[in-house]
Amino acid sequence: MDNQAARHLDASNVGQRVRVLGGKEVLLDKEGFLWHPEDWTEEVAAALARECGIEHLSEVQWRVIRFLREYFAYHGRAPLNRDLKAGLNMSLMELESVFPEGIRRGARRVAGLPNPRMCSG
Amino acid sequence: MIYLDNGATTFPKPASVLHRMVETYLRMGVSPGRGSYDLATEAEEYVADTRAKAAKFFGAPDPDRVIFTSNATDALNIALQGILRPGDHVVSTRLEHNSVLRPLHHLRLKGVIEYDLVPFDGNGFVDPGEIAAAMKPNTRLVVMCHASNVLGTIQPIKEVGRLCGSRNVPLVIDAAQTAGVVPIDMESCQIAALAFTGHKSMLGPTGIGGLVLNKGIDVEPTRFGGTGVDSKALTQTESLPYRLEAGTLNLLGIIGLSEAMEFLEKAGILSIHAREIDLLGKLRDSLSSIDRIEIYGGEDLSKHVGLLTANVRGMTPEIVGAILDGDFGIAVRVGLQCAPLVHETLGTSPGGGVRFSLGPFNTEEEIETTSAAMRAIAHA
Repeated sequence: MDNQAARHLDASNVGQRVRVLGGKEVLLDKEGFLWHPEDWTEEVAAALARECGIEHLSEVQWRVIRFLREYFAYHGRAPLNRDLKAGLNMSLMELESVFPEGIRRGARRVAGLPNPRMCSG
Repeated sequence: MIYLDNGATTFPKPASVLHRMVETYLRMGVSPGRGSYDLATEAEEYVADTRAKAAKFFGAPDPDRVIFTSNATDALNIALQGILRPGDHVVSTRLEHNSVLRPLHHLRLKGVIEYDLVPFDGNGFVDPGEIAAAMKPNTRLVVMCHASNVLGTIQPIKEVGRLCGSRNVPLVIDAAQTAGVVPIDMESCQIAALAFTGHKSMLGPTGIGGLVLNKGIDVEPTRFGGTGVDSKALTQTESLPYRLEAGTLNLLGIIGLSEAMEFLEKAGILSIHAREIDLLGKLRDSLSSIDRIEIYGGEDLSKHVGLLTANVRGMTPEIVGAILDGDFGIAVRVGLQCAPLVHETLGTSPGGGVRFSLGPFNTEEEIETTSAAMRAIAHA
């Protein structure tokens, strides 16, 4: 079975979906987070951002995205609240207003990080 | 950090409880009752003493009917799956945690039972009359929480117990939010089975809880294995508590639970409760004066445990929780609190709410800081 077929099988098995975003076929979970973080490209980010209501990502939004991706690549997990604050030199109040759906649901999704599963859904 | 997530687990635990737990386990951490040596006998006696302490704590008649479990969810699963039979009907409520809802739903999907969930009123209370109305000739069980883990409201279990007693229907109580902070007397409340966890208001460690059975209720085992007694037989032993406790007991947790009950006896659960409600009242008064904040449930806190749930209009609970943590060092629980039907009823699904749950070590200053933080967030 090739990779593409395997992805379609994965998707049908666990409620994920395959979509084309930014000219690339990607696997998303049921809440729209990338299943494979390595699928992320700047074009995919721009497409995900448009779905969040952001037509053009601003410089501060890109700064948050880049920080999230670099942190994730280095540590293997998303930054904690205190890491975000220290790393970006912004308060959480400011940070949460940068993306319409906040950091966890908005910025993390656009940055291609895994879904922060918690008992909220 | 200001810790206001005590409804999930109390933190910190009393240091004396943890120190004594570890000291005793260092001295006596063997398999209780399963050896020919003195220390195993001592450990078994310690376990038996803890059963007796728990029976007294919950007003239950027989220490041998105190079953140790890993938590309240575990206890509820043992009770529900061990009591219910094909064709049974169950009455429960829309206030329940998934610890009750999911086992019931699982049994319904398997075609074993049917159930009805009664509503709660605008203040967060279930009317025993609604429970009576939902009963059918084949109702085998009523199962409900003692207090809502979202609204904090203490339910009228004495009245429900009287109703169940008059109809000969066993009442199973989920005491996850009340054990250790609200006195419970199983005999006078006619509670057939009570599920509790050791790590919330009991102030013990995680991983230990219990199912306390009253006289006359029979629970079939759903897990099988070694019990240390009747080992020759291939069938599970008939004798309680071993019948429902397959495998080696969590002795470390049992010691922690025992020490925690000693701590509670000295501190007095009524005084802990009164203090938490005093602080909750201050928090509620302060939050209710802020324009964008919506608080769920009624204003009267006389039948409450120390928690409340609120939202800042126009902000998701998740964002409020992150700001409270990141900018103010305040830990709260956001989301559905594993009680989806409560939020569905409140109209706060799927985002849920921000739950502030108090513990015995919170201070007035912490409540003032929390109120100021919520005011700053709401005014942002």
